[in-house]
Amino acid sequence: MSNVEEQELKDRLSLIESMISEGRRTTESWGWTFVLWGVAYYIAIALSAFGPSAIAWPVTMIAASVLTGVIGSRISARQPETTTGRAMAAIWIGMGISLFILMVCLGMTGRLDLRISVAIIGAMLGASNAISSIILGWKMQFACAVVWWAAMVAALFTTENIAGIIFLVAIFFCQIVFGIYGMIAESRRNKARAAAQGAFHG
Amino acid sequence: MADLPELNPVIHGKLRLALLSLLSSVEEAEFTWLRSKTASTDGNLGAQLLKLEEAGYVAVEKKFVQRKPQTLYRMTESGREALTEYVQAIKQLLGSAINA
Repeated sequence: MSNVEEQELKDRLSLIESMISEGRRTTESWGWTFVLWGVAYYIAIALSAFGPSAIAWPVTMIAASVLTGVIGSRISARQPETTTGRAMAAIWIGMGISLFILMVCLGMTGRLDLRISVAIIGAMLGASNAISSIILGWKMQFACAVVWWAAMVAALFTTENIAGIIFLVAIFFCQIVFGIYGMIAESRRNKARAAAQGAFHG
Repeated sequence: MADLPELNPVIHGKLRLALLSLLSSVEEAEFTWLRSKTASTDGNLGAQLLKLEEAGYVAVEKKFVQRKPQTLYRMTESGREALTEYVQAIKQLLGSAINA
């Protein structure tokens, strides 16, 4: 076998590898969901403080879920479904439903306490961020998990007012800042990928 | 000395190999997504996908989503086997080149 033929076979193997990893990467656009949910948390907090407090959280969370579904289906309408994408959706949908049912039941039974609420939300979001960061290999997301776990612990050892401030700060860093960082990183990665891509011929 | 394997000519084409590799990593993919990933023209892409379909390596499904036509491609079991055999054949050929 000549060197040219050998090189061609090696090129074929690297083409297979690059295309497989390209296919697996397709659904990794999550930054916007963090920003959307961060804004939703702030709206719910503002509504519960200045408006109809009993229905503020359930209504805002349902609205945010519907909005996520609508925007997500539009973004992914022309994207193929991957196992990674389904795993991500499973984690966040499962966590969201659990958290929603728990918080509604705590509210209905009069057991809702701000410190306990922040601790529960911190634990759930910490676990979900940690799991998805390990699956996606995204170290920055694990930092978000650590911040949520720290907020969970801090909320239980402080007053209600400080627990509220801890919650606002955690939302800002783990949802808004991390979401914007994610969107910028995804945009840069997509541009770099588009620039590196060449056409294939039969 | 063992006989060297022959490379499957249906898969060996660069675009067809890229398409089959892409489809191996997803459950199903739309024509426009495959076109964007391979940066190929509609005509060339359609022709290469037809060859893969005729070989039984991909299955096609046409449907309407929100009144817009969608053509979805999915890798078949024989397509997966053919790609695996192709990779093994390349490795064997490269191995024999190193040992020669």
